[in-house]
Amino acid sequence: MILQIVGCSHHQSSIDVRERLAFNDERAAAFLRKFYSAFPKSEAVLLSTCNRTEFYAASNVPETNPSFDEMKTLLANACGLSYNEIDPYLFDHSDTEAIRHLFSVAASLDSMVVGESQILAQVKKAYTLASNQNEKIPLTHQIFQAAIKVAKRVANETDIHSNRVSIPSIAIGDFARQVFERLDNKRILVIGAGEMAEETMNYVSYYGGTDIAIINRTRETAEDLSNRCGGFVVDWMDLPNQLTAADMVISATGASQPIVTDDLYRDIIDARGGRPLFVLDLAIPRDFDPAIGKHSNVYLYSIDDLQAQCEYNRKSRQSYWPQAKTIIDQETDLFTKEMVHRSKGPTIARLKNQAAQVKDAELQRLMNKLGNISDHQRGEIEVAFHRLTNKLLHPPLASLREESEDSGNQHLFEAIKQLFKLD
Amino acid sequence: MDWLERISITCFAASYLVVLGLEISRTVFRAAWWKWSAITASLAGIFAHAVYLIHQELVIGSSGVFVGGWTGWFLGSALLLMVAYLWALFRQGDSVLGLFILPLVLVSVAVGSWPGNSNSFSVSDTKTVWNAIHGISLLLSTAIIGLGFLFGFMYLVQSRRLKRNQILLVRLPSLEWLQKSAEKSLLVSAVLLTVGLISGFAINLVNRLGGNGLIAWHDPVVWSSAILLTWLLIALVTNLLFRKDREGRKVSYLVMFCFVFLLIEIGIVWVSGHVNRSQAVAQQDRQTTVHEVLR
Repeated sequence: MILQIVGCSHHQSSIDVRERLAFNDERAAAFLRKFYSAFPKSEAVLLSTCNRTEFYAASNVPETNPSFDEMKTLLANACGLSYNEIDPYLFDHSDTEAIRHLFSVAASLDSMVVGESQILAQVKKAYTLASNQNEKIPLTHQIFQAAIKVAKRVANETDIHSNRVSIPSIAIGDFARQVFERLDNKRILVIGAGEMAEETMNYVSYYGGTDIAIINRTRETAEDLSNRCGGFVVDWMDLPNQLTAADMVISATGASQPIVTDDLYRDIIDARGGRPLFVLDLAIPRDFDPAIGKHSNVYLYSIDDLQAQCEYNRKSRQSYWPQAKTIIDQETDLFTKEMVHRSKGPTIARLKNQAAQVKDAELQRLMNKLGNISDHQRGEIEVAFHRLTNKLLHPPLASLREESEDSGNQHLFEAIKQLFKLD
Repeated sequence: MDWLERISITCFAASYLVVLGLEISRTVFRAAWWKWSAITASLAGIFAHAVYLIHQELVIGSSGVFVGGWTGWFLGSALLLMVAYLWALFRQGDSVLGLFILPLVLVSVAVGSWPGNSNSFSVSDTKTVWNAIHGISLLLSTAIIGLGFLFGFMYLVQSRRLKRNQILLVRLPSLEWLQKSAEKSLLVSAVLLTVGLISGFAINLVNRLGGNGLIAWHDPVVWSSAILLTWLLIALVTNLLFRKDREGRKVSYLVMFCFVFLLIEIGIVWVSGHVNRSQAVAQQDRQTTVHEVLR
């Protein structure tokens, strides 16, 4: 079996290059169809995400698989580029290194944010797309199923995915949930309608928040956000009342001065009745006067506070990297041996079959010559022939098994194929 | 069954120490096997603990779990707290609740197994239904007030670290969950303490009718229990009436004060020898009757 990868990722290429080599589903499907018309006996998968484009090709017969240069040319042509334009930015791996790479990618060890969870879904999607183009892809099926299994093992045995690393996810997933047990019965006030507010709102919805009021100086922008992400729009002048009613506030405006001053908050303290208020001030400069955080039952977080947790979580994930790497190495080793063993299986079966045919023919010839002999004598002769064949085959088969342990070495295997004319 | 007799306090205390060790290790590193190891060790400890108490109560009859007695009292409370910990492991598996609950469990086990305690609180000769209700309700209310104290304490710790914007190295339950749990423990312990006091009055009444010894109404244990109950009721009513204005911090202080009251009451029982006096009064009554008959 041969597996080859050609691709680019955030490690070697800038976003400009990655953009030019990116594929959407439609283009990826067209690319795979073109590949199969050129290499019908080979198998291919194309993985394209914002951080990588990787082209996998596999075959049981090395001669039917494209070379690295051919793979790069196919990729360049599909993107409307020349070979020379993309060659400096592409990496290539084959066999064991290719398997190790795919396992690392699926387990999110190769990601820009180590431990991010989307990549496994993207790997699955790439495989599904490939199998839709060609139903008979047994090799890539085995390799990608193994990659998914390895990714799950890494996720189960390490905590590499456990700590969140983006500001909005930490704000809601970590801090808000340390204050509130559930969000579905809380009033959430979103001040501002920019990208940060939108991303944070998505997390609020993910964790069950439904009662979301959006307030913005420009009402139309708030309505656009409401149409995209849900929630309802309230009037800017109603800010004090909305603050009184809110359990959680997400503020991300571009205002140059604090929107909620300490005096404004003091005015609504009594009306709030001592309920906890969780404030995520994601604006720079800040929207909430820091003095508000000193009030009892107010938990005020600025972007700097969240950044510290973000860095801590990032380092925490990195600490699981060696453990995850060990799992990848173990699994790569196991998988490679299994694949080598499987690929030698048919040849070994042919060798045994050939020996059995010779044995049966010679046995038959001898029996014809001997004429009438007793069943006991016949049985003894058959057993002797059987034992002789097995003893003759045992040393070469044992040597082949030993060679299987060393997955890179195929010399003996090739020699036996030639010696016994097993092709 | 020989193996039952071989179960000792060391068996379950060791299991709980293992669980505490696992909880501490969790603050340093996390592994997939952690939760199930903690559950297994907790279940093993709880099983040994329950078997030990039942064996002591039914076969040897020395601990006096249900009718009062220091060893049984503390070991029973520790068992209930441990069951609560196991429940919390399923409900709040990500939180390091064990760091708070397990030390209290181990302290209760240590106090319960203290050699001087085994004889200091002997069991009343008469075991009635009222004795059982009295013992069980007071035992449960003790454990639940202890748990409420821990929830209140955790609330303050959690609130403090969130106020200070500290990095979340370990997880605690949310403030909302802690506040609700503290409120529930306040309510349940008040109900159980009421049942305990009423059943105590009933025991007194039964003893009076049977001509046995009585606990005087001015006994320190009776009035301190009444004060604790009054405090619990005031706390509950305050919490219900000022529902809008309640703050988690207020609830935390309320339950923590209840625990302090409880400790004071345990101290009073310890010093005054509540049940011993009941027996002594009964013995004195019997002696007086014998003297009168002889005369």
